[in-house]
Amino acid sequence: MNKIKESLLKLWNVLWRPLIAIILGLIVGAVVILIVGYNPISIYATMFQKSFFTVYYLLQSLTRSVPIIVCSLSVIAAWRAGYINLGAEGQMILGGFAATVVAVYMPGPVFLVMIAAILSGMVAGAAYALFAAFIYDKFNVSIVISTLMMNYIANYITTYFITFPLRDPSNSIAIQTREIPVAMHLPRIISNKPFNIGFFIALGLVFLMMFIVSSTKFGYESKMTGLNPVFAQYGGVKKSKVMYSTMALSGAIAACAGMLEIFGVKFRFSEGMFTSTSYAWTGLMAGLISALHPVGAFFSSIFLAGMQVGGQSIQLSTGIPVQVATLIQSTIMLFVSVHLFANFKKRRKKKDVVNLKKAGDK
Amino acid sequence: MKHITKIYGNGVLANDDMSLDLNESEILAVVGENGAGKSTIMKILYGLEQPTAGEIILRGEKKCFRTPQDAMKSGIGMVQQNFMLLPPFTVAENVVYGNEPRKNHLLFDRTKAQKEVDELSRRYGLAIDSSLIVQDCPVGLQQRCEILKVLYQNADIIIFDEPSAVLTPQEVDGLLETLRNLAKVGKSIILITHKLNEVMAVSDRCVVMRSGKHIATVKTSETNTKELSAMMVGREISDASIQPVSTGKTVLDVEHLVMHGEAGKPILKDCSLHVEEGEIVGIAGVSGNGQTELLHTITGLMHAESGSIKLNGKEIFGNDVRSIREAGCAYVPEDRNTMGCALKASLSETMLMAHQDEKEFNHNGILQHGKVTEKFNELLQEYDVKYSSLQQEAGELSGGNLQKLIVAREMSHNAKLLIISEPTRGVDIGAMEFIHNQVLAQRDAGAAVLLVSSDLSELLKLSDRVYVMYDGQINGELTRAETTSQKVGMLMMGGTLDE
Amino acid sequence: MDTNFVLTVINSALRSTTPIILAALASAICTRAGVFNVALEGQMLIGSFVGIAVNWFTHSALLSVLAAVAAGGLVGALVAVLQVKYNAADMVVGTSVNLLISALTALLLFIIWGVKGSIKDPSLVSLPKVSLPVISKIPYVSTLFNNLSPLDYLAYVIAIVLYIYLFKTVNGYHMLSVGVKREAAESMGISAIRTRIAAVIISGCLCGFGGVALSMGQVTLFTENMTAGRGYIGMAACNLGQNNPIIIILASIFFGFCDAFASTMQNSIPSQLTQSVPYIATIIALIVFGYRSKQKMKKAVKRGVA
Repeated sequence: MNKIKESLLKLWNVLWRPLIAIILGLIVGAVVILIVGYNPISIYATMFQKSFFTVYYLLQSLTRSVPIIVCSLSVIAAWRAGYINLGAEGQMILGGFAATVVAVYMPGPVFLVMIAAILSGMVAGAAYALFAAFIYDKFNVSIVISTLMMNYIANYITTYFITFPLRDPSNSIAIQTREIPVAMHLPRIISNKPFNIGFFIALGLVFLMMFIVSSTKFGYESKMTGLNPVFAQYGGVKKSKVMYSTMALSGAIAACAGMLEIFGVKFRFSEGMFTSTSYAWTGLMAGLISALHPVGAFFSSIFLAGMQVGGQSIQLSTGIPVQVATLIQSTIMLFVSVHLFANFKKRRKKKDVVNLKKAGDK
Repeated sequence: MKHITKIYGNGVLANDDMSLDLNESEILAVVGENGAGKSTIMKILYGLEQPTAGEIILRGEKKCFRTPQDAMKSGIGMVQQNFMLLPPFTVAENVVYGNEPRKNHLLFDRTKAQKEVDELSRRYGLAIDSSLIVQDCPVGLQQRCEILKVLYQNADIIIFDEPSAVLTPQEVDGLLETLRNLAKVGKSIILITHKLNEVMAVSDRCVVMRSGKHIATVKTSETNTKELSAMMVGREISDASIQPVSTGKTVLDVEHLVMHGEAGKPILKDCSLHVEEGEIVGIAGVSGNGQTELLHTITGLMHAESGSIKLNGKEIFGNDVRSIREAGCAYVPEDRNTMGCALKASLSETMLMAHQDEKEFNHNGILQHGKVTEKFNELLQEYDVKYSSLQQEAGELSGGNLQKLIVAREMSHNAKLLIISEPTRGVDIGAMEFIHNQVLAQRDAGAAVLLVSSDLSELLKLSDRVYVMYDGQINGELTRAETTSQKVGMLMMGGTLDE
Repeated sequence: MDTNFVLTVINSALRSTTPIILAALASAICTRAGVFNVALEGQMLIGSFVGIAVNWFTHSALLSVLAAVAAGGLVGALVAVLQVKYNAADMVVGTSVNLLISALTALLLFIIWGVKGSIKDPSLVSLPKVSLPVISKIPYVSTLFNNLSPLDYLAYVIAIVLYIYLFKTVNGYHMLSVGVKREAAESMGISAIRTRIAAVIISGCLCGFGGVALSMGQVTLFTENMTAGRGYIGMAACNLGQNNPIIIILASIFFGFCDAFASTMQNSIPSQLTQSVPYIATIIALIVFGYRSKQKMKKAVKRGVA
């Protein structure tokens, strides 16, 4: 009985801070909803009902969570090693685009083309991230700025391609590529819903990331580089090797996020498909809220996705923009950031008290 | 002669009912070994710490200093070991910092500042060009700037905390001259030091501390270094009867290392040394003479420009850290917190560093947690490290325990070459003895040990041979039999053995 | 190439430069005080929005600008309290604030006007255009200074003021010292926390100013996320400008040019491509700068050794 109590207490210790952050975030959202003239409680009730509590919406949330989960993993891969990769969006766009182009235009047996598409996507995403790493290594260009700039660049350039040369001729309004062959669509779980095996692939990636982080030399070396680069160098860890490999991994994973969305849900690359939905930024939020832990990020991503789905249905029924969900989410993230360090301060104070006592005891 | 008296005593672990007094125009030396409590009592005087008990009386008035600013207002200034200077700014800007001369209330009158500082430096005989940029100045000048800063605040009482620790011998002479001049013009100086020759050279009186307690206050003219060191140490330095076990086979061979730093400043000037199997070779010297850079070059953290480094006959000059470690080198670094560990990492992770490629722990890139836990628990118990779980953060361990962990980690390599820097800095006596015994054990097992320590008694106790480093070069070499503190001290100050 | 055309481009560049200079100055003051403020984008966006909002209700350009500056300062205060006082992680605070402001402004757009996407209205007052007495008569030069608002001139004045503040005043010296060596400053009784909070709030005001220059400068409207990364380009300009307000002016003009160049090319090259020009230019500029810095370092070392 005691052991259960112990582990529950441990769980509570980890959870109560993000929980308070969530409550505070919800309060902020409630204020906004009130201003618009609606009852926050009924809005929230609808939101939660329409995100997880009916099968239809639950599936929507889970489907939407897929690119978010994978983007959060991409963020985790780089940030753990101390490399602030903000370019998940650009890497996702480029990876998704490359894979789509190969899938649509490359001739050959389906199986081979699919593999080629996946590989191209991952290589494109990895290369894009590697470029940022390279110019940091050789020219000291801040990864924060370069990856951010590269998001815009990737977005504009791919938009150009799908507006002109690679545009879908069958549709005169939509700016998009042609559809990828049916044989390459990811199998759906339930026939008429977009929920597909992509979710389980994402789950698999979560397990993979968990494994890498906890049980591989690579994960160990990147974690140590992130915690104390001097210590890592002292121990023989090669800094550039860690930087290039974590950034490449991060870019490749982000590309996977794009590919899962395209091969599983949309079946084509269309304008703004990743930017208007802000998958990458939501993934970033999920990663940060869960302090860069893959499992935490998995659940946070689903939660955030659910909020967005709920937000969308609210927008349809009341007109309140879906941004209310983003507002709540970013407020939560803000409160979490403070809490993480309020915690640290409390621990510091405890230590001082203990030391004083020791000194007093002589 | 006005009597400036300060009496205080307090009973915290650092200072145990400690009292001292200071007179006008006198230089009072406060001596003691590392950990005697000298810095603590001065921090109290300067307002950086509060006494648990006791009082400070300044010119007959009871005073309480809650912050350094309070102390400064009462005319107390302190020149600390870590300078509080702003490197990219000029000497003048640094000296007047906090009390800048103004033009029109808002603007910083830098010309006036320069004039004032030049005037100040002339008045106290501390020659310095106030337009120099601090980061371009040698350490001695930087210290001078720090002193001027204190004088600019109109300090009457100036505390110097181990001022010669970072200076070259010539600079030390300059410093002592400065101290004498300051006392002559009416300042009261407190000099914290463990260098007895300085005490004899400039102080009027001397307070000896040991383990936080006041041992004696003597007039410098009535005592000598032998007496003082006896009081400081309180015991005979045990003549450890350590038998040499060297086989004579050279493990580390360093020849003619040359390295320059920023702006071409020479850091290593033709350094050569060697270490044999089964011997402990110590490098003595005032810190800042190139010891850190020498070790970093041997371990691959830095690269020298020319020279040769051979480990067991194989050239490792210019190699990276990993290959040097693989060639058989282990390293206990000088600063355990910035280099020896990651404070937020778990104990298990901290111990895995530099072991993560070993077949026992790593099967094709996958870590074997079971083995890791088993081995590390064993190792930590063997080295008597107090910890609650391998998953706790490294930063939670006490200094001594963390050091033992790092020593355990590095020694478990049983490397042919073991390099140790400052093995017992900030470590309690019990852990100190333990670590010393471990070092001796490694040596007895045949390792070549290269030891750098600013604790001369530790160095002399453990080393079979001693090199002395001065100004980027090996100044002299002594065997255990030949070593005396006087000889080593002489070499450390830049002298030669023939003097 | 028609001279008039070139001058028009330069004129357009000058107008594009204003928000970037201000963002760069904001970044500079934070960096100089030792704070890594990533929330510049959000600080600007709130300025853009509040400027238009107040404009709608008061039809006063002056009040709009003042309100925008205040709004930016408020957001800066939020960042300051969380990041400087409570030591929250800079990337987390900055990114959250940016996302928050983006969502908030979109929501407010809906709440106030019931629209989504953007708001544009003839009743909105635009910034007065300065017409220089003598210069507006000179044929070619007048094109150069055509249609610039007071904000465009003020941006350069602010840069100079900031330079004077940092490098000529005592207060500025204290702020620089906090960024150079915090403990040295605190040892002389200067509160690093208070100085940094001030720096961040000032950066917020500067960004707010830049934001309203954006939403009321060349055009008078607000679009969701209209800052489009200018906060980050400002950071890059600050980098290139080596945190020195005077050099920042040059660096910002460079980026302003890229912006203007992209716009002018829109007729011959598809807009999707030209829009990426400023961002590509930023990266190239940083690479070149980094390359030359490294060369300088190498030469200095060589000189020392030789």
